[in-house]
Amino acid sequence: MESQSISISGSGRVSGGEYTQVRISGSGRVEGDVVAQEIRVSGAARFQGTVKAKEISVSGAGKFTDRVEADVLVTSGSCGIEGDAEAKELRSSGAQRIGGSFRGHYVRISGVLHVARDMETDVFTSSGKFDIGGLLSADRVEIKLVGDSRAREIGGENIDIRASSGFSFGFSLTRGFRLGVGIGTLTVGEIEGDNVHLEATTADVVRGKIVHIGPGCRIGRVEYAESLDVHPEAEVRERIKR
Amino acid sequence: MDEDLIAKKDVLEEAGISYGQLYRWKRKGLIPEAWFIRKATVTGQETFFPRDKILPRIEQIRSLKEEQSLDELVQILAPEAAPETVKHDDPAALSPIGTEGRKLLWKERGYTFGELVALACGTHALRSGTRPAEAKLLVDLVRAEETVLRTPTGMTALLGEKAFEQEGFSVRLTLGVLGHEPLKVDRESRVKHRVDLEKIAEQVKLALREVT
Repeated sequence: MESQSISISGSGRVSGGEYTQVRISGSGRVEGDVVAQEIRVSGAARFQGTVKAKEISVSGAGKFTDRVEADVLVTSGSCGIEGDAEAKELRSSGAQRIGGSFRGHYVRISGVLHVARDMETDVFTSSGKFDIGGLLSADRVEIKLVGDSRAREIGGENIDIRASSGFSFGFSLTRGFRLGVGIGTLTVGEIEGDNVHLEATTADVVRGKIVHIGPGCRIGRVEYAESLDVHPEAEVRERIKR
Repeated sequence: MDEDLIAKKDVLEEAGISYGQLYRWKRKGLIPEAWFIRKATVTGQETFFPRDKILPRIEQIRSLKEEQSLDELVQILAPEAAPETVKHDDPAALSPIGTEGRKLLWKERGYTFGELVALACGTHALRSGTRPAEAKLLVDLVRAEETVLRTPTGMTALLGEKAFEQEGFSVRLTLGVLGHEPLKVDRESRVKHRVDLEKIAEQVKLALREVT
């Protein structure tokens, strides 16, 4: 049977089911589990039930009360997922909130991200602000700090955290620091990686093979296997070579 | 007493693996969440693993990795990835079951994955000298709890035995128990046979790959 598409452009509610396309540009509510090829929200939508789709894009306000699964999840407005989320690719330039854990392959954040539990992906790049209640784990973690971000733990192969001066040109990074205009910090309990480069980061423990502690860092203890270098404008209380 | 734990950094050193590998394997589900044990130490929080589980698992991942991709490995090792759709017709062809094991649960064809694991548990017991009637108890127990095979926590199935002797009378009772370690029995009973479900499930998955 050919599955159908729905479009809500005024105000409406539909029940869950299998659809080719779901478009909500007014105010809509979907009650029940949904499986769809494509879901587009440009108004305000509330999904009550699990959602599974190839592509989900939210540019208005989307609220999902349960688990969300997608190949591609793109959000530029505000998107709240109360359950766990799984997406091969997550690109968010708006406000993204996940009440459970996230699993995926590629994550790109330029807005605000809030994850209550773990965020596990192959690649995590952020030039936004994030708050991760559990573990952030990725093969490649690339963070350009904007605003104050935090995570309980970060673990992976390559971890690269850079401060941004807040100006796209005209200020060198170190100069920005000296003048105290560097914006963006990261606070983490524990960081573990093979290659770790940190700037403007406060952490209790950093463990790694090759560790570089850059300007603006305050680290309780660094345990390293191969090399450690610490910038003069960084503070490391304890260094242990293993 | 606590089971023998090993700190994460010592795992890396002993097994010669990197943080990247460890976290990757964890993400893929090759190392179950339940094995990550967080503990407070003098130097703050640290993560530990059960030594007798983590080191063999890393060895296994390594030796299997030479022939298969990480994603294929997940199919074999991660309990959540237990094949749901398996319908196997000839359990006798699987080394953890064999002809002796098949008799514990006879069907014409169409054994589910759970039934195969149940059979393998029974066979495991048979091969270490348990009587067929008792091995069957184990099969019934595991078969009824197929869902536990898909949860990433280490479960154990065991046969306990209690003997009563009174005025020349002697009665022996055997019962099956399923649960998380450490499982304890009272002093007058003994554990007749113990199987690690996760391990058995793994053996079945490996055997299934060999025959297909």
